[in-house]
Amino acid sequence: MTTAVAPSSRSRRSRGQSRRLALRRQILPPVVCIGLTLLLWQLLSGLNSEGFPGPIQVIAQTWDPYIIKPFYDEGGTSKGLGIQIFISLQRVAVGYSLAAVIGIAAGLAIGLNDFLRRGFDPLIQVLRTVPPLAWLPISLLLLQQADSAAIFVIFITAVWPIVINTAVGIREIPQDYTNVARVLRLRKRSYLRDILLPATAPYVFTGLRISVGLAWLAIVAAEMLKADGGIGFFIWDAYNAGGDSSTSQIILAIVVVGLVGLILDRLVGVVGERVSGGRR
Amino acid sequence: MKGLITVDDVTQVFPLPGGGQYVALKDIDLTIAEGEFVSLIGHSGCGKSTLLNLLAGLTTASSGGIILDGREVTAPGPDRMVVFQNYSLLPWQTVRQNINLAVANVLRELPQAERQQRVEENLALVGLKAAADRYPSELSGGMRQRVAIARALSIQPRLLLLDEPFGALDALTRGNLQQQLMQICQQTGITTVMVTHDVDEALLLSDRVVMLTNGPEARIGQILTVPLPRPRERLAVMEHPDYYGLRSELIGFLQQQRRLRQRQQAQSQALAAAPVAPSAPAAPTPIRIGYLPGLDIAPLAVAIEQGLVDPAAVTVLPVPFARWQQLEEKLVSGDLDVAITSATTPLSLALGLGDRSPWPAVTPMTVTRNGNALCLARSWLELGVRDLATLATHVSVQEKPLKLAIAEQGIMQDLLLRHWLASGGIDPERAVTWVALSPMAMQAALVSGEIDGFIAGRYRVAKAVDDGLAYVLATDREIWARHPEKVLTCSESFALHHRQALLSLCAGLMRAGQWCDDGAHRQALTTLLSQPRWLGPAAAPALQRQFDFGTGERSSDLMLLNRYHADRAQSPDQAEGAWILTQFSRWGWSSFPANRVELLAQVYRLDLCDAALDLAGLPVLRPERQPFALADGGSFDQDAPLRYLEALPFAAPAVVASVPLPESTATPSLSTVR
Repeated sequence: MTTAVAPSSRSRRSRGQSRRLALRRQILPPVVCIGLTLLLWQLLSGLNSEGFPGPIQVIAQTWDPYIIKPFYDEGGTSKGLGIQIFISLQRVAVGYSLAAVIGIAAGLAIGLNDFLRRGFDPLIQVLRTVPPLAWLPISLLLLQQADSAAIFVIFITAVWPIVINTAVGIREIPQDYTNVARVLRLRKRSYLRDILLPATAPYVFTGLRISVGLAWLAIVAAEMLKADGGIGFFIWDAYNAGGDSSTSQIILAIVVVGLVGLILDRLVGVVGERVSGGRR
Repeated sequence: MKGLITVDDVTQVFPLPGGGQYVALKDIDLTIAEGEFVSLIGHSGCGKSTLLNLLAGLTTASSGGIILDGREVTAPGPDRMVVFQNYSLLPWQTVRQNINLAVANVLRELPQAERQQRVEENLALVGLKAAADRYPSELSGGMRQRVAIARALSIQPRLLLLDEPFGALDALTRGNLQQQLMQICQQTGITTVMVTHDVDEALLLSDRVVMLTNGPEARIGQILTVPLPRPRERLAVMEHPDYYGLRSELIGFLQQQRRLRQRQQAQSQALAAAPVAPSAPAAPTPIRIGYLPGLDIAPLAVAIEQGLVDPAAVTVLPVPFARWQQLEEKLVSGDLDVAITSATTPLSLALGLGDRSPWPAVTPMTVTRNGNALCLARSWLELGVRDLATLATHVSVQEKPLKLAIAEQGIMQDLLLRHWLASGGIDPERAVTWVALSPMAMQAALVSGEIDGFIAGRYRVAKAVDDGLAYVLATDREIWARHPEKVLTCSESFALHHRQALLSLCAGLMRAGQWCDDGAHRQALTTLLSQPRWLGPAAAPALQRQFDFGTGERSSDLMLLNRYHADRAQSPDQAEGAWILTQFSRWGWSSFPANRVELLAQVYRLDLCDAALDLAGLPVLRPERQPFALADGGSFDQDAPLRYLEALPFAAPAVVASVPLPESTATPSLSTVR
C-alpha cells in the first residue's frame, strides 16, 4: 500500500549528499517513466490525428475552463470539475460515514458473539462479492431518488470490508491482552476502551482504507448511470455531448478521479496511523 | 504449615485437534504456605506453565481443584496476579497508564489521590520513575519486565505468579532483576510461585523447588526444600556449604528426567521396529504367572476362578513355587512372564542385589498390602516375652543370638522385621541369626528348635498358632500399617511388547482385589481358596475366624490383615520404593542410588497402573504425595530419604552413588515373541 520508502539508509554520508541521493532515488524514476509514457502516448496519437488526442491536445482543449477555472458555475449541470468532485465527495462522505459507523458496530457484534459470527458469515461472504452497480436498480426502486440511491450504493459497497476486518480484529486480539483483562477483572467499559478498541484499531483502519477505495469506485459508476452532477455524471455528460474536446474532457476527469482516489486512500491511512499508533 | 493455596489432586487434560487427548498434568498435590516462595522447574513441555495458569484461574482443571484462602479458584482474579512470560503490557499505554489500569480497576474504592500514590510508589519500587511516561516499545526487555512486576505488585495480590520472568533477558539484567525481585518479595512478604528453567535462579529465590516429571502426564517428581538463610545475597548464597549439594540435586533430577525420556523414546522406536504379529482376531496371549501360595494370592485365585481376566485377551497359567529364589530365577530367565513377588523384588532385581546383574524389572500394580505376622515358639511366651520391649530385654541377657526365619533375604518381611527389631534397640545384624527358609518349611523348623520364630503371611502363622506351637508377637500393623506386601513384577520388555495382555491381567487382578476386600464375599472367598488347587482346607482357619494371637488376646478386627483393593491399595507407589531403597542401604546391601528418581520411575509404572484401572472400570486414584509415618513414629519423606536414613538406628553409613541401571532390552527375547 505504501510506495514511499522512508530514507532509512541514512549513514555517515554528509546531509547534502544523502539528500541528493534520496532525490535521485525517489523523484528520478517516476519522472523518467511517466515522461516516457506521455511521450509514447503523444507519438501514438500523432499517427492518427483524427481520433484520439495526445497529452498536449488534452491539456490544450481543456485548459479553459476546466483546468484554470475548476469552480465555474453556469447553472444547471454545467459546472467546473472542482464543483463536480465536491458533489461526488459529499455523497461519498455520507455513504462512507454510514458504512463506517454501521460496519464497525456490526463488526463488533459479530466479532464478540460467536453465534452471530457463524450465523452471518455466509451471508457476508456472498454479499461482499456483489459488484456495486448490481445494487443500483434495487436502491432506486427502494429509495426512488437518484441521490439517495447513489449514497446507498456507496454504503452497501463499502460496509463489508469494515465489518469483516473489525470482526477479525476482535478475534485476533492477542491472548496476552485478554489474559490481562481477565486477571484484572476489567469492567466492560474499561475492557472496551483500554483493550478491545486499541487492539482492534489497526484492523478497523485496514477495513476503512479498503472501503474508501471501493466507495470512490462505486460513486463514479453510480453517477454515470443515474445522477445529476458529480464527477461520474461529468464523464458521461462529456461522452454524450460528443464535441471536439469530449475525449479530452473525459481523459482529464479520469486523471482527476484517480488523483482524488489516491488522496482519499492516503488520508485514511494517515488517520489510521495516528489513531492506532506507531507505538507497538 | 498454614496453607494459603492448596492444589488438590489436579489433572489437566487438553483435547487434541485429531480427537485424542493430551494429559498435561496428572494428580498434582501441593500446598503453599503464606509468604512462601515456590519455584516450579522441569523440562520444557512438563506442564509448568499449565500449572501456573491453573493457579491463576486462567484455565480450569479437568479434575481436582485449587483452594485459595478456603475458597475454590474458578476464575482469574486480581488476588492472583500473573506476570506473564512476554510481559503482556498494553503497547498503546504508557508505563504509568499500564500500572494505573490495574490500580484503577482493582482498587476502585480508594480515592483518586491514593491510587495515584500507589502507582507512583510501585514505579519507584522497581526504579522506573524516569520512564513513567514512555511507551513499552521504547523500553528494554528488563525494564518491561519491571513494569510488569510493578503492575502486579501495585494491586497487592495474595499470590504473585511469575511465568519464566527473566527467561528472555541477558545474564546481567537477569541477575539484577532476581536480586530486586527477592528484595521486593522479602519486603512485602508476598506468596510467590515462579516457573523457571534456571536452577540457580530457583535456588536463589525459593523456599521450595517443585520438580515436575516429563510430560505428558507430568507429576510432581520431587520437592526440594532450600534451607539457605534469608535475607539472601547472590554471592553469599553461592558460597553457602549446602549450595552445591542442593544444586546437584536439582540438576540430577533434570538429568534423570532427560534419560527417562530418551529411554521412553528408544522403547517406542523399538516397538515400532518390532515385527507386527498378524493382528487378525489374535489368540489370547498365554501369560505364565509365578507365585508362592499364601493369602496374598487371593486376587489371582479369584481372577482365575471367576474369569475376571478377559479370556479373549489373556490365558492365565499359574505356576506355584516353594521358594522365592527359584521364582526369581525363572522370571529372569524368561520361563515366567510375570510373577507375584515381594514388594521389594522389583527393586532388588533392578539393582542386581546379591551379585546378580541388574535386570529391568517393572511393577504395574501392588497386589496386596499387609498380611504378615511375627510368631515365636510358645516357650518364649512362658519366658514372659509379650512385646518388643520384653523381647529386647531377653535378647540382651541371652548369650546366643535370636534365630529367626525369613523366606528370603531382602524381601518385605525381612525389611519389616529388621526395622521393627531395630526400633526396639535390637541390632538385627548382631543379635539375630537369620535363616532363609521356604515358608512351607518354617513350622517344621520351629518344631525342631532350629529357629525361635518366623515372620510370614497370616496363613502360615495362623496354622502354627492353631497347632499350639507358636504365638503372635507382632503383626505388621505394629510395624508399618498398609505397607506394600506383594506386587506384580515383570520385565520392562514384556510390559512393552505385551502391554495389552499385561493390562488385561492387571485389570482382572484389580477387579478380583475389589471382590476380595468385600466382607460379604468372605465365605465365598474361603471356599474358593480352600480348593486343593490353591491353599487347601487349611485356608479356612486363617480367614474365617478372628485372628488368634495364641496369647489369649484376640484381634478386634476381622479384616485385620490383607488389604487387596480399598484405600488405593493397588497403586505402585514410588515413595514406598524410596523407603525400600533406604533399607537396602541401611543394611549395607547396596549404596543409596543417587539416581533414585530415574530408577523409581523406571520400576514403578504408574502409567500401566492407571491404564489397567481404567480398563477395569475402577477410579484412577493416587496416594497423596505426602510423608508417611511408620508405626515407630518415624515419618518418611520421599524428598529427603537421606535425612530419614541418617536418623535410623543401626544404619550403615549411607554411600550415595549413582547405580548402573539395567539396560532396556529393546529387542524382545525369544521366549516373549509369540
